[in-house]
Amino acid sequence: MSIPVYILKRILQAIPLLIIVSIMSFAIIKLSPVDPLAELKLNPAISPQTLEAEKERLGLNLPVYMQYFKWLTSALQGDLGISTSGEKVITRLMERIPNTLLLTTSSILLTWLIALPIGIFAALRWRSAIDRILTVLSSIGMAIPSFFFALLLLIFAVKSGWFPIGGLTSVNFDKMNIFQKILDVAHHLFLPVLVLSTAGLAGLQRQVRGNLLDVLEADYVKMARAKGLPENKVIYKHAVRNAINPMVTMLGFEFAALLSGAALTEFVFQYPGLGRLILEAVMKLDINLVMASLMIGAIMLILGNLLADILLKLVDPRISLN
Amino acid sequence: MKGKYKSFLKIGLISLLAAFSLKACLVADIPESNITTEKNNENNSFEIASAKSVRPFKNIEINGVDYIQARGKIGKFGGTLYTSTIGEGPKTFNPWNAKDATSSTMGELMFDGLVATDPYTGEVVPQLAKSIKVLPSNKEYIITLRKGIKWSDGKPITAKDVVFTWNDIIIAGYGNTSMLDSIMVNGKPPKVEFIDDYTVRFITPEPFAPFLRILGQSIAPKHILEPVVKKGKKEFASFWGVSTPPKNFVTSGKFKLKWYIPAQRVEFVKNPDYYVVDKKDQKLPYLDNYIMYIVGDLNNQVLKFEAGDIDILGVRGSNVARFKELEKNSDYKMYNLGPNTGTAFATFNMNRKKDENGKYYVNPVKQKWFNDINFRKAVDYAIDRENMVSNVLHGVGAPLFTAESYSSMYLNHKLKKGHPKNIDKAKELLAKSGFKWNKSGKLLDKDNNKVEFNLYTNAGNTEREAVGVMLKQDLEELGMQVNFKPIEFNVLVGKLNNSLDWDTIIIALTGSSLEPHGGKNVWTSTGALHLFDQRKEKDLKNIADIREWEKELDYLFNLGAKTLDIDKRREIYDRYQEIVYNQAPMVYLYSSLRIFAIRKKFGNINPTKLGGMMHNLEEIYLKE
Repeated sequence: MSIPVYILKRILQAIPLLIIVSIMSFAIIKLSPVDPLAELKLNPAISPQTLEAEKERLGLNLPVYMQYFKWLTSALQGDLGISTSGEKVITRLMERIPNTLLLTTSSILLTWLIALPIGIFAALRWRSAIDRILTVLSSIGMAIPSFFFALLLLIFAVKSGWFPIGGLTSVNFDKMNIFQKILDVAHHLFLPVLVLSTAGLAGLQRQVRGNLLDVLEADYVKMARAKGLPENKVIYKHAVRNAINPMVTMLGFEFAALLSGAALTEFVFQYPGLGRLILEAVMKLDINLVMASLMIGAIMLILGNLLADILLKLVDPRISLN
Repeated sequence: MKGKYKSFLKIGLISLLAAFSLKACLVADIPESNITTEKNNENNSFEIASAKSVRPFKNIEINGVDYIQARGKIGKFGGTLYTSTIGEGPKTFNPWNAKDATSSTMGELMFDGLVATDPYTGEVVPQLAKSIKVLPSNKEYIITLRKGIKWSDGKPITAKDVVFTWNDIIIAGYGNTSMLDSIMVNGKPPKVEFIDDYTVRFITPEPFAPFLRILGQSIAPKHILEPVVKKGKKEFASFWGVSTPPKNFVTSGKFKLKWYIPAQRVEFVKNPDYYVVDKKDQKLPYLDNYIMYIVGDLNNQVLKFEAGDIDILGVRGSNVARFKELEKNSDYKMYNLGPNTGTAFATFNMNRKKDENGKYYVNPVKQKWFNDINFRKAVDYAIDRENMVSNVLHGVGAPLFTAESYSSMYLNHKLKKGHPKNIDKAKELLAKSGFKWNKSGKLLDKDNNKVEFNLYTNAGNTEREAVGVMLKQDLEELGMQVNFKPIEFNVLVGKLNNSLDWDTIIIALTGSSLEPHGGKNVWTSTGALHLFDQRKEKDLKNIADIREWEKELDYLFNLGAKTLDIDKRREIYDRYQEIVYNQAPMVYLYSSLRIFAIRKKFGNINPTKLGGMMHNLEEIYLKE
């Protein structure tokens, strides 16, 4: 099966899957005991007429299945509806998506660029002092809960005054030149990226190391060494290329987490990203916004898997798409 | 993936809560003693900001323009004030659409109303209006506007704008309709008439005391909004939303939007053509910029203040003692504005009606208790409010006995001191109604039913949960068995509003320090928030079970709305508080104090109980 046909097939398979996901999400949201009008109901200044009008505006007066079909038909036409604040869901999402992408891509880049070389390095110096130090460090990195680490860094930022407390830009941002702007954003990004990278870095480094150690024991590596290939070639041409295959699948999952993976860190650092928006939407049962974000999550996961499969095929010709 | 993170977050929050409640337990474990009183004194050691008498605002005319002359010291121009708001940030900059406090604050910063409240005396004072005349019928208001003042695009502000705002936006039901609800008198809106370019007449169908203050509603620029209104309500609801470019706003207020960055901050820049001048006739505001950070939670706000990012902070709970301790060697000063308008109370379900299936909402045995005035008063006397304030609120609060909050202009001063906890008196009251105690000290009613009921509050509010535990302990001293159950806020509202199957509840409502009429939804027998005996729509057709004192409350609220004379109004609202105090359908518990820290580098900081910290924002300046 050629790659384009395979992609088409996977996309067709995804459609019923997405519909099932949407039905389940909708049902779960509706089953939750949150009443989006609870606060209005307890406000002495709100009249029953206003409450009724608000119900109608949010479409809460319809039966649940009708609410779902209404949502589905407009979503299929590309209209994600309006959020409870009256703005289009798509505008609200677009305000935040670039910020979250900036945060997650920079932390993923950082993670991979550091983890791969360190992992290889550790595997090649197996059981040396430096390998042991790296093992300890990565164990700490994996063990520390990210929200706790984030809080620690936040306190550090307050006490030292070296880093801004949350946000993405400084107040005089509009008056800066492009170089200052980049520096300013990097300054704000530093701590959240550090938190996000730490956990990922530790895990990935361990995995690269483990895979490479396995591969170094394989027969074809022994064979390559026996036939007298230089050690450099043995490692980088044969061993590392094979060790990296399972990592490609992980890259697919990283793709899925691009938009949703940083929610907690965003919340602690008051980062203006998607995670904070969605958390607030869930609390307020802003159904269109929550549905849109859940569907985006599902689509990203499916795309990520697809991407991983295709990359795997490209890297490893032995794999067949059937 | 998301689920995983959510549960992480939950664990985080729970452990934080656990840490907090542990702390609360530690405090609560100290026997009620001198220690707590001492703590109380320590926290109250800085006096409540008192309203110094200040001369009234003065109108002055310069080059044919009617300005207001401000009352503070002469300051310096320039500088920025950084403040913050907790939550999602504004949802709209259109004040006629705003449904949440943050959006309203920002809208009101940009659009002035005809009148405002004098932050020192609580009187209604002219703002965009130059003068207000109430005709002797108490139904007609003649408003004269200032001449020569302008919208930010240079067009004059005239009576046309006023008439348009009232007739075509508010009365026509555009935007947030709760504005319309608040001006309806017997179901009829007021009439607004254009007399000449600088004069408008308002006529209410009947004398309506709250009306004058309602005139503070922001005035809209007709030349911008008329085309929008013509396109319909939907168009209006999205106009001047948060994605509008700042240059499109045409405003009249002290500050104008400069930049809105979602989830980060809102930047305002001063209106160079504002109509307030200082004593040297220089145009205010002094500050160039006013910047509001959008922060996710209280902790982040405190961090931002400590890091110097923001200049003013509302300090709460246990932080007060710490900030007070640090104040001596710091660059900020703390102010105590006295209790806020929030009133926490416990209420009884006195409902005697049956639901659709013919079942009583409240078990008839319990109905008898809750409808027994001696029972309710006994509960009232058994509560140790001082203990709640010192242990749960860390001393940052005040015991409350009246339906109006402490900060209210209409507070009943005879009742505000209330009464101390008095278990003997409570027992005496119970005995009067035939209650008795069995051998193990449990309370029985005269038909030998054990007195046991549920007490709900909203889960997640640690303060209220701790108060619930204390209330339970206080009532156990009377031999009552109280099952305290914190439940989800939504479920709680559902019970209060719809299923009505509850016994007692602890909750809080926010009042107003200026206008008691807002309480009519709670206190009139047909009110939508008549919590202690909620009547549903079907019950309203034939109200047979109305109590004598409920009738009197109905009468008082009706009369209070019609009475414009402030002393007569005061008598009316004093009487309503007296009825509530004597009948105790809702037992008031406490109000929190409003405590702020602001950097010393600012001048003209004159906080008042009614106006808060920033009532004179145009006069606040940066010293150096």
